[in-house]
Amino acid sequence: MNTSTTEIILFIIHSLFFIYATFAITSYVILAIISAIETKEYMKKNSFVNYKEILSSTISPSISIIAPAYNESLNIIDNVRSLLSSHYVNYDVIIVNDGSKDDSLEKLIKAYDLVKVNFLINQQIPTKPIRAGVFKSTNPAFEKLTVVDKENGGKADALNMGLNISNNQYVACIDVDCLLLENALQKMVKPFLEVTEEKVIATGGVIRIANSCIIKNGKLLDVNLPKKLIEKAQILEYLRAFLLGRMAWSRLNGLLVISGAFGLFDKKIAIEVGGYDTNTVGEDMEIIVRMRRHMEEIKEKYKVAYIPDPLCWTEAPDNYKIFISQRNRWTRGTIETLRKHRKIAFNKKYKSLGMLSYPYWLFFERLAPVIEVIGIVYFAILMALNEVRWDYAIAFIVLAYFFTVLFSIVAIFSEELTYHQYKKKGTGIKLLVITALEPFVLHPFILYAAIRGNIDYYFNKKKKWGEMTRKGMAKA
Amino acid sequence: MESYQYLLDYLENAPTIIKVVWITICVFFIAVVILTIYLKYLRNRLRKNEKTVAEYQKEYESDLITYLYAGNEEEEISAEQQLIIDKLRSCASDEFKRRIIVSTLLRLRNEISGEMADAIQKLYFQSGLISFALKRLKSKKWYVVAKGIRELTQLRVKEADDKILMFVNHPKKEIRKEVQLYLVTLFHFEGLQFLDVLQTQLSEWDQIQLLEVLQRFDEQEIPDINPWLKSANDSVVVFALKLAKIYNQFEVKDALIDLLAHPQKKIRVDAIHVLSHLQVFEAKTVLKNNFDILSKEEQIEFFKLLENLCETGDEPFLLTQTTHQNFEIKLSALKILKTLSNEKFKDLKDFSTDADYVKIYEFLAYN
Repeated sequence: MNTSTTEIILFIIHSLFFIYATFAITSYVILAIISAIETKEYMKKNSFVNYKEILSSTISPSISIIAPAYNESLNIIDNVRSLLSSHYVNYDVIIVNDGSKDDSLEKLIKAYDLVKVNFLINQQIPTKPIRAGVFKSTNPAFEKLTVVDKENGGKADALNMGLNISNNQYVACIDVDCLLLENALQKMVKPFLEVTEEKVIATGGVIRIANSCIIKNGKLLDVNLPKKLIEKAQILEYLRAFLLGRMAWSRLNGLLVISGAFGLFDKKIAIEVGGYDTNTVGEDMEIIVRMRRHMEEIKEKYKVAYIPDPLCWTEAPDNYKIFISQRNRWTRGTIETLRKHRKIAFNKKYKSLGMLSYPYWLFFERLAPVIEVIGIVYFAILMALNEVRWDYAIAFIVLAYFFTVLFSIVAIFSEELTYHQYKKKGTGIKLLVITALEPFVLHPFILYAAIRGNIDYYFNKKKKWGEMTRKGMAKA
Repeated sequence: MESYQYLLDYLENAPTIIKVVWITICVFFIAVVILTIYLKYLRNRLRKNEKTVAEYQKEYESDLITYLYAGNEEEEISAEQQLIIDKLRSCASDEFKRRIIVSTLLRLRNEISGEMADAIQKLYFQSGLISFALKRLKSKKWYVVAKGIRELTQLRVKEADDKILMFVNHPKKEIRKEVQLYLVTLFHFEGLQFLDVLQTQLSEWDQIQLLEVLQRFDEQEIPDINPWLKSANDSVVVFALKLAKIYNQFEVKDALIDLLAHPQKKIRVDAIHVLSHLQVFEAKTVLKNNFDILSKEEQIEFFKLLENLCETGDEPFLLTQTTHQNFEIKLSALKILKTLSNEKFKDLKDFSTDADYVKIYEFLAYN
C-alpha cells in the first residue's frame, strides 16, 4: 500500500471512531435532557398524590411479590419480614426456594410457623418440579406468606413457578435480599391504574445501593455513603443510569430493561408470552423485550412505565471479583437478548422498539465496550509505531474525562434536587471526589467484565450465574 | 510565563478541531468548578431549609393550638385569637411561610374533628389564606391549579364549587382528579353528578380514590346509578358497576343484564361479576345460553357466578365443561359438581384422562 492509501484508511478509521463517540455523547446528552424534563414532570405530578386511599382500599388490585431464593439462609428471615411489612392491603408474598442446599427452608418453617399444604398449581409455564412442597403459615400474622420449595432451576425458573402459583392480577418480581420501602407497591402499581390511553404492561423501579445503610425490622432507618471506593462508585453509576437514562427511555416509551431486582408486571401478559426465559442469564431484560414484542405484534398500544422514587434498596458487590462476575453476567444477558430478538432490529413493524430502543442498545450498550477495546488496541499499535498525534490524543482524552465528570455531577444534581437521599454533611464532597475517580476505579473493571462477558458468551457457553456472597445489610 | 506563551502559540497554530476541543474542555472545566461550588451551596440550602421549615412548623403549630384554646363564649374572636390571625395574615404574604402555615393547618385539620376542625376552617378564612388558594385556580400552571383545588378540598371550602366545576373536563388529568375528589369529599354522593358531564376517561386510580372517599359517607342516600350504567363514557359505566356492587344496588339488575351485550369486553366481564355478587338469577340463563360465544374472560367470570347460583339442573352443562381447555373453568366446573353432589363427583374419577383434569380431580377429592 502506498502512503496515500494508508492515510485514507487511517482517516476512515479515525472518522468512524469520531462519529461513534460523537453519537454516543450526543445520545447521552439528549437522554439526560429528556430525563430532566420527565423527572420534573413526575415530581410535579406526584407532589400532591394521596397514596393513603389506595393503601387502605380493598378494591385496590391484587399483587403477588415473587422472590426467588437460593442459599439465602443468612438473611432469609429478615428479608421475608421486610417483604411482609408493606403497607399495601391487597398483596401476598411468594418465596420460591429454588433448590437451596442450605437450611433456608428449615429456617423459614421455624420462623414463620409454616406447614405443608395441598396446593393446586395451574402449570401455565413449565418449571422444575416441586421438591418439599408448598407451605403456608399457621400464624395469622403471616397469612400473606407462601413458601414454595422446588428443585433448582435458576432464577427465571423460580420466577416462573411464582407466576404459576400467584392468583393475583399483578406480580412484583424481586430479589429476596432487596429492601422494599413500605409504600413501594402502591407507587409501582399507580401507572397500571392511571393510564387509560394505553395498556401498562410493566413498571420498573429505581434500585438504590443499601451498603452501609442502617436497616431495622425491614425498614430503612439511615442512608449512608459506604466507605469502599467500589461501592461509592457504584452509587454514582446507579444514579447516572437511573436518573439520567431510564427516566428518558420511559418518556420515549423505549425501556428495554426493568431491573430484575424490582419490577411489577401484568401477570396475564407475562404468562401469555411464556414467562421468564430459563435459557438466558439476562432474564429481566429478555422478558421485557418479549412482552414489548408481543404487544407490537398484536398491535395493542402499551407502555412500560418507570418510577424514579427510591423504593428498592439492595446490596451491591463490595469487591472487584463479585463485581466483575455480576457485570460479566449482565453483558452475556444483553448479548443473548439482543441476539434472540434480532428480528426487531431496524424493523419498522416494531416502531420505536425496532428503530430506536434496539439500535441504541446494540450500538451504545452491547457494542460500546467492544469498540472501546478496539480503540485501546488501535491506540497501543499507534504508540508502538510511534504514530500517535499526541496533541490530538491528549485533547480528546481530557475532553472525554471532563465530559464524564460533568455528566456524573449532573446526575448528583438530579439526585439532590429530587430525592436528596444522601443528606449528611460531607457526603456531597465525597460524591464529587468519586466523580473524579470513577473513570479510574470503576470503568476499567466494567470494561474488563464486559469483554470477559463477550469471551464467555462466545467461547464458554456453559458459564451461567456467578456467585454473590451476601454479607447482609447493616442492622440497627 | 514562557510555557504559558508556548501554550498560547500552540493553540493559535493548532488545527481548528483541536481549538474546538480545548475550548470545550475549558467550558466543561468551568462548568465543573461552578457546579461544585453550587452543589455545596445547594446542599447547605436544602439542609437549612429543612431546619427552617421544622422551626416554622413548630411555631405555627403552637400558634394554632393557642388559637384553638383562646376562644371564649362572650366574643366571636378573642383578643388573643385576633393577634394570631393578624400574625398569620402578615406571614401569608410570604409564599414560603404560607406553604408551611397551610400544611400545618391541614395536618391539624386531619387530626381533630368537631368544633375544633370548624375553628381551623374559620381561621383559614380569617387569615386570608383562602384568597391565595382561590387565586391559584386562575393560574396558567396546571399543578398550581391542582394544588389549589386540593387545598380547598382538604379545608372543606364548599363555596368554591362554581369555580372548580369549570375544570371538570380539563385536559390535564391531575386537575380533573382533584376536581372529582373536591366534589365527592364535600358533596358526597351528590358530588357524583359530575359523571353526567364527564367527557374524559375516569381511570381506575381515580375510581378507587373516589370510592374510598364515598365509603366515609355510608349513611348517605345512594343516587340512581341507572343513567351512569347507560353512559356513553365507558369508564363511567365501569365506575357505576363498582358502585352497584359496593352498595348492593339490586334495583339496577335490568341495566346490568343489558350490559352483558355491551361492546366492551371489560364492561361485560365486570357486569357478570356484579350480577354474580348480587346473585341475579336471570343472568345465569342468559349467559348459559350464550356460553359458547362468550370470551374466555367472560366464561371464567360466568363460572364464578355459577359457583353462587348453581342448581342440580346445571349438571349436564357443567359436565361438558369439565373437559374445557381452560384450567380455571375445568376447576370451577368440577368444584361446582362436587358441591352439588359429592356422590356423583366420586363417579367422575375416570371421566377424563386429561392431565389437568386428573390433577384437579385429585386435588378436589382430597380437599
